Amino acid sequence: MTLTDIVTRPAEGGAGGAALSLRTLAPAIFLAPAILMLAVYLLYPLVDSFRLSLLDWNGLGSDARFVGLDNWKKLASDTLFWEAAWNNILLAVFSVLVQMPIALVLAVVLDNAGRGSRILKILYFLPLLMSSVALGVLFKYFYDVTFGPLNAILDFVGLGYLAQDWLGDTRLALGAVIAVVCWQYIPFYMVLFMAGLASFPAEISEAAKLDGASETTIFWKMKLPHLKGTIRTAVVLSVIGALRYFDLIYVMTGGGPEGASELMATYMYRNVFSSFQLGYGSTVASGMFIIVILIASVLLRFSKRYETEV
Amino acid sequence: MSKFVSKLSALACGAAMVAIAPFAAHSADKVITVWDLQTTDGAVKVIRDAADRFEKANPGYKVEDTHILNDAYKTKIKIAFGANEPPCVFSSWGGGPFREYVAANQVVDLTPYLDKDPAFKDRFAPASFGAVTVDGKIYGLPAENTAIAVVFYNKEMFEKLNLTPPKTWDELLQVIDVLKKNDIAPFALANKNKWTGSMYYGYLVDRIGGPEAFANAAQRKDGGSFADPVFVEAGKRLQELVNLGAFQKGYNGLDYDVGGSRRLLYTEKAAMELMGTWEASTIGNENPEFAKKLGFFPFPSVPGGKGDPSDLLGTLGDNFVSVTNACPEKDKAVELVKFLTDDIAAAGRVADSRLPPIKNLKVDNPFLQDVSKLVSEAKSVQLWWDQELPPKLGELHKDTSQALFGLSKTPEQVAEEFEAAAKAELK
Repeated sequence: MTLTDIVTRPAEGGAGGAALSLRTLAPAIFLAPAILMLAVYLLYPLVDSFRLSLLDWNGLGSDARFVGLDNWKKLASDTLFWEAAWNNILLAVFSVLVQMPIALVLAVVLDNAGRGSRILKILYFLPLLMSSVALGVLFKYFYDVTFGPLNAILDFVGLGYLAQDWLGDTRLALGAVIAVVCWQYIPFYMVLFMAGLASFPAEISEAAKLDGASETTIFWKMKLPHLKGTIRTAVVLSVIGALRYFDLIYVMTGGGPEGASELMATYMYRNVFSSFQLGYGSTVASGMFIIVILIASVLLRFSKRYETEV
Repeated sequence: MSKFVSKLSALACGAAMVAIAPFAAHSADKVITVWDLQTTDGAVKVIRDAADRFEKANPGYKVEDTHILNDAYKTKIKIAFGANEPPCVFSSWGGGPFREYVAANQVVDLTPYLDKDPAFKDRFAPASFGAVTVDGKIYGLPAENTAIAVVFYNKEMFEKLNLTPPKTWDELLQVIDVLKKNDIAPFALANKNKWTGSMYYGYLVDRIGGPEAFANAAQRKDGGSFADPVFVEAGKRLQELVNLGAFQKGYNGLDYDVGGSRRLLYTEKAAMELMGTWEASTIGNENPEFAKKLGFFPFPSVPGGKGDPSDLLGTLGDNFVSVTNACPEKDKAVELVKFLTDDIAAAGRVADSRLPPIKNLKVDNPFLQDVSKLVSEAKSVQLWWDQELPPKLGELHKDTSQALFGLSKTPEQVAEEFEAAAKAELK
C-alpha cells in the first residue's frame, strides 16, 4: 500500500471530512519523527545554551548564579575568542579557495575519463570515508618532526631545509591542519560536482560540438554556468562547515600551540570541559551561532543570483 | 505542543523498552560501573582481578570496568557528572577539579566507612589523603601509584658519554652541552598536553622559592603572589633551557598520550624526560628492552634557591578512587573500592612497577625502592599544579606555561597575567 492509497482511498468513498483531516494528518505523521529529532537535538539545545549563557555556573552543582549579560560583555572583549573566530574565517576562506577548484578539476576529469575511471572515483572518495579521529592521529604521525614521513620526504628530495615543526610551530599549525581538512573534504565536493555534471544533457554538448565548439568552450560557456547552483551550494556548505569546525583541530593540535589553531568550537570546548565554565562556554557557543548565522545569511543573500533549480 | 511531544516520546521509549526487554531479562545482576584511566595491560589486570574478587564475594553483583585514555577521560567524567549519570566508582587526582565535584555534592564521604574499619584505613600513608580531603572529610582512597616527577634518563647513553646524573643547575647545563654536541636532544618533551611542560615550571619555582612560594600564592596567604620574583625567575630559567636547545624540535606539538616523547627515548634521539614515575611502568609495558636502560634522578637544585632538592612534585596516590552519590548501590560500591585498594591489589600494582602509598609495603623492585626512598625523604610533596588549582586557573597555568616554552610570552607577562586571574578567581 502506498501513501497515495492511504490518502486518497477514503476520498473515493465520498467521506470528504475524513479525507481532509487525513490529507493534513499524513504529512504531519511522516514529518513528526524528523521534527521531533530536530526539536530535541537542535532547537532545545540552541535555546537552552542561550539560557545557560546568562549564568555563572560550573555545570555540576545547583549553585548556578544568574549574571545577566556579564558573560556577553566578557565575550565581546575576549581577544582569545576573536582570534579563534578569525582562525575560523581563515579556515573558511582557504577551504573554499582550495577545495572548490581541486574538486571541480577532479570532477571534470573523472566525468570525461569514461571507462577505467571507476577505480579512481573510489580511490578519490576514500578520505571522506575515514573517521576524523583516525585521520587526525594518522596525520599527527605524518607531520611528526622527527619521525614523520613528510619531513623525511622533503629531506629525501633535497628540500630538507623546508622541513618544519608542522604542528608545534604557532605560524604553521593552523595551515597544517587546514591542509588535512581540505584533503578530507575535497571528495565530498567532487561527488557533488560530478552529480551536477552528470545532469548536463549530452545532446546539448553534442549539438555544440556539431556547431564547432571545442571542449574548452563547452566547459567554460556551458557546463560551468550549468554548475553554478551546485557551486553556490558547495561554497555555502563549505563556509558553514568551516565556521563550526572542531574534530581534526581537536585531535591534532587541541587548538594549540598557544591557541594558534584555536577555533570557536575548540575554545568553547575548553571553557566548558577543562575550565569548568559551563556558563561562559555556552556564551561562546551562542556567540558562535550568531556569527555563523550572520555570515551564512549574508553569503546566501549575495549569491542569490547564482541560484538555480539544481 | 508539549503534550504532543511527551506522548510521542513515551511512545518512543515504549518501543525501545520492548526492544531491550528480552536482553535485560538475562542479566538480573546488579551492575556497578567503574571508570578509570588505566590503559596499560598490567594496570587493567589489577583492576579486573579486584573486580573478580568482589564479584565472587558478592554474588548477584557485576562490575563493569571501563578504561579510558587520560585526556578523553577528563572530558567524559565531566560530561557524566554534568548529565547526572556518573559511574558508581571513578578515578581522579584529587585537588582542584575534584573539590568541584565534592562541592557539588556528587561524591560520597568515605570517612564513616573508614572509621568503621580503622585497620584498613591505617594501612595508607597519612599524607596520601591530603588531595582528597575536603573540610576534614575523606572522599577518596589512594589507589594506583606514588607518582612523582623525576628525570628519567638513558643509563647506557650517559655511560657511553661519560655523564653522571646532574645534581645542580650548572651540572645540568653541562650535561645538556655534551648531549647537544653529540646531536642528541637532551630532553624529550611532548607539550601538546601542556601538563607535561608544567612540571618543569613547577619544579623550578620550588627549587628557587621553596614549596611555600606556590602554596602561599595558591592559598592567598602570607602575602603569596604569582607575580612574586620567584615565578619570574623560574620562567627565565625555563626559557634559558629552551634557548639552549634543551628540548627536541617540535616539543609544543607532540602528544604524550600517543607516545610522542617516549618514541624519542626509545630511538635514542633524546636522553632524558621529566615525567611522573608511572612512566617506568608504561615503558616496561611498551618496550621492555628499553626499560632495562632506564634510570632516574630528582630534579636538580638551583644555585641560591630556597627549595630543598628533596622536595617533590607529584601525588601520593596518583589516582584516587571515589564513589558517586548518584550510585544506587553505594555501600556495595564502597566495598568494591576497598577491594580495589586492598593488599592483594597493592601487591599486584607493585608487581606492575607501581607503588601505591601503603605503609610497610613489601617491595623487591629496586626502582620502586628508590622511589619509595625519595618519597620518605621528601620534605614536601606538591600536587601537580594543574590538578591542585581550581580548573579555570589550572587551564590558564597550562596555557601560560606552554607560552613560556614557545617563547611567545615573557616570564614577567606570564607572572602578571596569572596573578591577575588568581586574584579574580581565588578570594
